[in-house]
Amino acid sequence: MAEKNNSIAKLVITLTIIGAFGALFLAGVYEWTIPHILEHEARAREQAIMEVLPDLDYYEEVTHNDKIFYEGYDENDNLVGVAVSLKGGGYAGEIEIMIGTDPQEGKILNIYVLNHQETPGLGARITEEQFREDFKDAPFSELEIVQRTPEEPYEIEAIAGATMSVEAVKNIVSDVGDIVTEHYGGGN
Amino acid sequence: MKNYLDIFKNGLWNENPIFKLIIGLCPTLAVTNTVVNGFAMGMATGFVLISSEIVISLIKKWIPNDVRIPSFILIIVTFVTFTDYFLGAFFPDIADALALFIPLIVVNCLILGRQEAFASQNPTRKAIFDAVGMTVGFTWVLVALSAIRELFGFGTLAGVEIFGAGYTDMIIMILPGGAFLTLGVLVGFLNFLDRKVGSDNG
Repeated sequence: MAEKNNSIAKLVITLTIIGAFGALFLAGVYEWTIPHILEHEARAREQAIMEVLPDLDYYEEVTHNDKIFYEGYDENDNLVGVAVSLKGGGYAGEIEIMIGTDPQEGKILNIYVLNHQETPGLGARITEEQFREDFKDAPFSELEIVQRTPEEPYEIEAIAGATMSVEAVKNIVSDVGDIVTEHYGGGN
Repeated sequence: MKNYLDIFKNGLWNENPIFKLIIGLCPTLAVTNTVVNGFAMGMATGFVLISSEIVISLIKKWIPNDVRIPSFILIIVTFVTFTDYFLGAFFPDIADALALFIPLIVVNCLILGRQEAFASQNPTRKAIFDAVGMTVGFTWVLVALSAIRELFGFGTLAGVEIFGAGYTDMIIMILPGGAFLTLGVLVGFLNFLDRKVGSDNG
């Protein structure tokens, strides 16, 4: 019995030592790499904001109800638009989109897909300029997917073979109107 | 020295992880849609394999037999997490492309398999040769597989246009289905080649 206890103790000690060394090593790695990782994330976010708010000179981060809004201003300190990053479920994982809006006019300026895991060559085409183009000047309302060239501002052209990805983007973007007008209620 | 060279060559062909041992197929099927991804996955897996084979062959004497698998996994997890952070910090594009499949290197049975079959029973010097051989063997098959898939799927090789703008992408080749098709044909072809060469020599 004593022998068995001894051997169990040995097993526990071995695993503890290996785990402790691993944790120590990784703590160092974390300290070393995290500034770089955060920098990449910040740069990607900044690039996305630049992309979705035209004529932008600088932007400010403002928090309303725990939600971060990026207010974009031109050189004369006029508000050019408000960007917000929204997430939703896609076909293969979460899709995160930066959406630039004009709350005064009640319309979307542009969108930019920050993160996605959609199928390459099919769903991943949601990041392409041609698809994003349809969201420009779309009104704050439920958008609609059509199988032809869009004629109305609220119409989005479908991508062949990527029904679910397009649907996911449409649903995510359709929510932006309510979220933005709640805090920046201007005209319609 | 011949002995060491044999260990190295073992991974390239005779016991090639993919087309001979048929292990480590999860990343093999999942990320080989472009040459860059295939190569990056080969390198990431190789780094974890080499580091953990070195560490495990060094400390094998002190690991009690009853907890050898959990100990191996702990060591492998440490190196995989390192790789995950390292790629995220210095190669963000590759980290984005491989995404979830980096953490999944932990469960690649190629890695645990080599610890159990080789590193835990051999001196460190031999383990290094084994790990490097397996890495090169794993990587070249991944690159071959992704080259075929990228060529037919996108009409490009490592991002360079091959078939010209008029080429219609074969989407199936980029999807998992294309991975199974290509892997099946490739494994069949390489084993056919192996048998042919073997029978000629014998």
